[in-house]
Amino acid sequence: MSPTPASIYCDNAATSFPKPREVIDAVSSVLSRVSLSPGRSAHQFSLECSRIIFDTREALAELFNCHDSSRIAFTCNVTEALNVGIFGLLGVKLQPGDHVITTALEHNSVMRPLRYLGKTADIRLSILPVADDGEVMVSELPRLMQDNTRLIVANHVSNVTGAVVDVEAIGRDKGDAVFLVDAAQSAGVFPIDVVKMNIDMLAFTGHKSLLGPSGSGGFYLRQGLSLRPLKMGGTGSNSETEIQPDFMPDLYEAGTPNTLGIAGLGAGVRFVGSTGLTNIREHEQKLCRLFLDGVGQMKEITVFGPAADKERAAVVSLRVKGKSESEVAQSLDRDFNIMVRAGLHCAPAAHRAIGTFADGTVRFSFGLFNTEADVAACLKALEIISKK
Amino acid sequence: MKQTLTCVVILFSIHFVLKTEKLFKREGIGHDVIPVPREISSDCGMAVEFSCREKERVLDLLSSADIRIAGLYIRDGKNSFQPISPENIAQNAVN
Repeated sequence: MSPTPASIYCDNAATSFPKPREVIDAVSSVLSRVSLSPGRSAHQFSLECSRIIFDTREALAELFNCHDSSRIAFTCNVTEALNVGIFGLLGVKLQPGDHVITTALEHNSVMRPLRYLGKTADIRLSILPVADDGEVMVSELPRLMQDNTRLIVANHVSNVTGAVVDVEAIGRDKGDAVFLVDAAQSAGVFPIDVVKMNIDMLAFTGHKSLLGPSGSGGFYLRQGLSLRPLKMGGTGSNSETEIQPDFMPDLYEAGTPNTLGIAGLGAGVRFVGSTGLTNIREHEQKLCRLFLDGVGQMKEITVFGPAADKERAAVVSLRVKGKSESEVAQSLDRDFNIMVRAGLHCAPAAHRAIGTFADGTVRFSFGLFNTEADVAACLKALEIISKK
Repeated sequence: MKQTLTCVVILFSIHFVLKTEKLFKREGIGHDVIPVPREISSDCGMAVEFSCREKERVLDLLSSADIRIAGLYIRDGKNSFQPISPENIAQNAVN
């Protein structure tokens, strides 16, 4: 009986796996050594938890070139961060009838709040289109801007095609509009400089390329910008009053935080820092190029998104002629132990833009711990599946 | 530190307490992170205690680091604190 091949994980766009040892140790250490009530009690355990959270904030601030780590607030994931941003602006910078611009490649964590505001607050939406080469046409931004454009939301990297959006160009042309960047797929791989890119709010997740555990994430909010918070409650500060503190990060962090997740996230961010963003990106892009070169020679396979010679993330959407996406994904999983994700990837808008709605695609997403051998195995499996 | 007069600086939240702690460690200023004394406030936060000899230096450092001070006290007894008047506290940038 032949041994089962070791599993090959190619779903890093959903969540990264495996996690560095340091991340596992950080979570385990907090769970086993200290109780988890940071910033509330005055004892040594509470203080240690508070320090862990503070250190994670500082590490993220350094990663994003944010000069004041109090401008970083934690949430349970990037969806929450994006919701805090979009809904939190209503009644502050965004009024009923105002105009918002987003891109054609957005995830539902952006589209659903915006569509909801379209229905309930008469928010008008314009979409930056995708060109045939898979790139978002940021050059169309000035044409779409209106006098009452108050918000621009863009994902930095598409979770469907791996296309990189020129957020620096958007930051340059945004005028007075608030610029919210969804960094779910880019933080930990592509450089993000909130100052240079003129980003007003950056939403990030902890469990993808920042290599932290699920349940971690947050946002950066620039000095001078305030949002209506999603939740109010105990913050361990200003306890004499029943009024929510008006300063960050407490304003957006009511309730006991996910200290375990934030501890793991801190370890992940430090791991990314010590490995080097450029090294990580070059490794992943090399795997992506190998993969694209390989599938490019298989006539039954169509790839959607930017070509191999473009600046892109290691996220590849494809279809196999004559096979459904779920059939391909299931065969990869059951016959070859290769894990991918098939379907619409919570981004129906993106699939509409690239012409793969409603069946979607099979998505391979390579991460830091994938190898060339993994890519070779994927190509071999696809060759077999496509000829069946 | 027990033999010299100490000052207690109250910050707006644990984040700023830890930012102050990091600053003091970097600058080699002896300090202790303590619960906010009940005689000062019922807030469930922490404060930073340090030798009053360092007061001026501390005020300069906190000001340069944009750390706002919620209060500054001299400990003149085990459980007794005298507030230092606002005119004597350096003005910090507002958040």
